[in-house]
Amino acid sequence: MANIREIRERIASIKQILKITNAMYLMASSKLKKARKSLESTEPYFHKLQSTIESVLEHTPHTRQLYFDRRSDIPEEKRKKGYIVITADKGLCGSYNHNVLKYTEQEIAKVADPDNCRLFVIGQVGRMYFQNRKNSRKVSVDSEFLYTTQNPTLYRAREIAELLLEKFEKRELDEVYLIYTDMINSNQFEPKTVQLLPFSRRHWGIAPDGTLKKLPKASFLPSPEEVMSYLIPQYAKGIIYGAMVEAFCCEQQSRMTAMDAASTSAKDMIHDLSLMYNRARQAAITQEITEVCGGAQAQD
Amino acid sequence: MAKTFHLDIISTDRIFYEGECEHLVITAIDGLLGILPGHEALVTALPPGELKYMVNGRWRYAAISEGFIQVMPEFAVILADSCELPEEIDIKRAEEARQRAEEKLRQKQSIVEYYHTQAALNRAMNRLKISKKHFE
Repeated sequence: MANIREIRERIASIKQILKITNAMYLMASSKLKKARKSLESTEPYFHKLQSTIESVLEHTPHTRQLYFDRRSDIPEEKRKKGYIVITADKGLCGSYNHNVLKYTEQEIAKVADPDNCRLFVIGQVGRMYFQNRKNSRKVSVDSEFLYTTQNPTLYRAREIAELLLEKFEKRELDEVYLIYTDMINSNQFEPKTVQLLPFSRRHWGIAPDGTLKKLPKASFLPSPEEVMSYLIPQYAKGIIYGAMVEAFCCEQQSRMTAMDAASTSAKDMIHDLSLMYNRARQAAITQEITEVCGGAQAQD
Repeated sequence: MAKTFHLDIISTDRIFYEGECEHLVITAIDGLLGILPGHEALVTALPPGELKYMVNGRWRYAAISEGFIQVMPEFAVILADSCELPEEIDIKRAEEARQRAEEKLRQKQSIVEYYHTQAALNRAMNRLKISKKHFE
């Protein structure tokens, strides 16, 4: 039989933790409401952006534009790949961080030479994880790339897009990918990769039967190259912003679920422990009475 | 009833306008551009500027910052970072942004910073210009 005092202390400490998880649950749910709202208001833009770019590219004549350059002269093992990874700033959100990190590990493992891999991590947890990784396959993490995942803004997305485009232009990177958590429905998330650069048009402009669609070419003002050099950064910025908003929403959602589960199990534990406590107390009382009775009988 | 085409104006934070339109005038990189129904397919970039479109014979105005437009004979799509009605513009905020940008331009900056501030200044000036035009 466990000690009564031990059980009482245990109950008190669980109650303290319950208070914390409950507060975090409330905070996450109020942040989630805000994140949901911003997700809903950006979603039309995000989808329209993708479909418009697609249809614009269908009407684009072949251009020698920098962002389309696949640099096929560089062999696969020498290509420098950059990954933007969106994680959370804090832990305690269930498997959210774990899933993104594991997924990123898998993606990196595909690359032949880890020296050619560079990570641009948004969010504290991910940055710490990749910087302290004691692994033979060490990848470099850009240490000056410091952005938070809290309340994504267009301004931040613009800065990130500019930075990556510049690195691509300077040939410091040959391919740029974006890894973020996609919200399938409110209970289901999945990490996802999107290729940002070079801008590929392989899947676009091809009809279902595999032939190139013959579409009338649109006119571009002032010139296709000029418009594209303006449009692609705009597109990159839009995609990054959309991904940030979506990831933030997922983070809050999974934190809310995790904290709700923690509160429920804390309540269960308190229930079990107080049952044990009452039993132990009752046993102690019974024992005391027996002892008193035994003593009284012995005196007679 | 005049001939119309479908116009979508979508900014990052909302759907600004969705519906029929008779005439659209945009500020492109090298000047104003008028678009009527049946316009040839066209794609162009939009710097911060003014936008006006005619619905039921009346002009409507908006301030737009950075975006692009896709025009097809039957429809047009404008995607922009932000899009505001003249009465929605916060003059005080725009004025502050302008002063901040001007102050920054006086400092020595790197080229990238210089472009950033200049872009910010352009956005602020555009907002101020449009709101002045409609309220004074």
